[in-house]
Amino acid sequence: MDIFDPIILLVLVAGLYMAWNIGANDLANSMGTSVGTGALSLKQVVIIAGSLELVGALAFGDRVTTKIAKGIVPIEDIISVDPNIVIIGSLAAILAASFWITFATFYHMPVSTTHAIVGAITGFGLVATMFVDTFTIDQIQWIVLGKIVISWITSPLIGALMAFIIFTIIRIFLLARVDDPYKLEKKFGYLQILSACFVALAHGSNDVANAIGPLSAALSAANITEYGVIPMWVLAIGGIGIVIGLGTWGWKVIETVGSSITELTPTRGFSAEFATAVVVFGHSYSALPISTTHTLVGAVVGVGLAGGLAAVDLSVIKKIILSWVITVPVAALTSGLIFIILMKVL
Amino acid sequence: MPIEYIRSVLGIFGESPFKPVHTHAEKGGEAVQKLQQSVKAYCKGDYMAVHTFDTEISAIEYEADIIKQTIRKLIPSSMMLPVDPNDLLSFLKPQDSIADNAHHTAHWLTLRETELHPEIKEGVLELMERIVKTVDAYEDMVNDIAKLLETSFSKKEIKRILKKVPIVEELEHETDITKKQLQATVFKYEDELGGTGVFYLISLLRDMGNIADSASKAADRLRTMILRR
Repeated sequence: MDIFDPIILLVLVAGLYMAWNIGANDLANSMGTSVGTGALSLKQVVIIAGSLELVGALAFGDRVTTKIAKGIVPIEDIISVDPNIVIIGSLAAILAASFWITFATFYHMPVSTTHAIVGAITGFGLVATMFVDTFTIDQIQWIVLGKIVISWITSPLIGALMAFIIFTIIRIFLLARVDDPYKLEKKFGYLQILSACFVALAHGSNDVANAIGPLSAALSAANITEYGVIPMWVLAIGGIGIVIGLGTWGWKVIETVGSSITELTPTRGFSAEFATAVVVFGHSYSALPISTTHTLVGAVVGVGLAGGLAAVDLSVIKKIILSWVITVPVAALTSGLIFIILMKVL
Repeated sequence: MPIEYIRSVLGIFGESPFKPVHTHAEKGGEAVQKLQQSVKAYCKGDYMAVHTFDTEISAIEYEADIIKQTIRKLIPSSMMLPVDPNDLLSFLKPQDSIADNAHHTAHWLTLRETELHPEIKEGVLELMERIVKTVDAYEDMVNDIAKLLETSFSKKEIKRILKKVPIVEELEHETDITKKQLQATVFKYEDELGGTGVFYLISLLRDMGNIADSASKAADRLRTMILRR
């Protein structure tokens, strides 16, 4: 089978669409704080985010991608029986995640692409047990899945703790000591360029997997790429898709959210961004797919708890938890259904 | 593509209620400045101007009310603030009374034309001057809230703002003394003024005194808000 197989092409197109969504909304959210503090202009942010997202995806995106492609559902067990099932399953998973993300975005629900894709892959895995006799439910890597789910809870908490510590250090050693805190803020404007770069890099390393995880699974099942290796060009597809999303739509989202967060100062923005980037990058290294935006929310709350913000609206957290709880089963169910339908049709 | 295609979590950043708190305090100051002009016009017997000032101060007081409502809307229970939201509201209330009481006084001035004895006239102008000083000191203190927030309540900034509370309280105390002396003076001329005249002036002085009293109460609440944080 080659790349021009219609089903493989569909997985690729859906993956690109997912990448576009990630660039248009998730990356835009992560970068919005830099514009909000006035540290960077919209144009500068788009250039930084676009280039470093790509570098992050290409240089560090393989670990999480591998985890999504074969870490939860051990596709090698299915490939050995019928590789087509993996290809169709990948298509079902990426379509289900894309549908849900599109729907949720129209309704402004703060869902995570990570949660959607992990749910969708798991849904495919569960239904695949009905089609492959040798593949049973206990072959799904529940421990890996459990670790991922736990990391979704702990990553915002670690983000909050880190941001709390970073801001408290800035507060005690700098803000309380300088004569003119506003001058200090100006200096932190420059540091924020660094933290913004770091966020984009970290985001690319973790979130590119949400777009190309299923594609990588399909490609290795079709024997187009070597099993277990994520080639550079596959990562590039995801990275470029994300950059296109940022360039065609994400900049508008950055502009909208950036203009609504005028209360954020560079010291606070730096603290939240740096904490987010460290947490997300750490998880990429540990091959754990997490939500960058949820980690950022945790970090903002951390800065707020350290007394750094005039107002933090905690109602967003309730919405996040709600959409979190809905996303995984909905994506799993949709993915399973699409898989069954595709298996009957094809 | 509709502009609504947005999925954002940055609603986590609430709008600061402290900026409108500052604007709200400025409205009080504005009303008191106008009231001073009105009192001066009253002493000159320019009652037309007194009526005009009343209308203007009423408008300022209304604006202050709108700002107060905006602030209340900005602090739903889900909003995490660096201070207790109840403390913020109890501080806002006396601050709002500054403009309220200025308006009461301005309106009271329109109700009766009184030829004032020079001694009383001088006293009223002096009392008004002291009220303006008290409210100015109050505004100076409120100005420091921004820096307090910027440094995230550094000890230095807390000290700086808390030093200004007793200044306001001291000025209010002096205003109160002036008011009491002036009330005694009014009774000194009770035969000349008549019952209605005495009632009118005593009420006027009470209303004026309430302005400085509100500023002092608000300063005290601000201190409580900062210390209880």
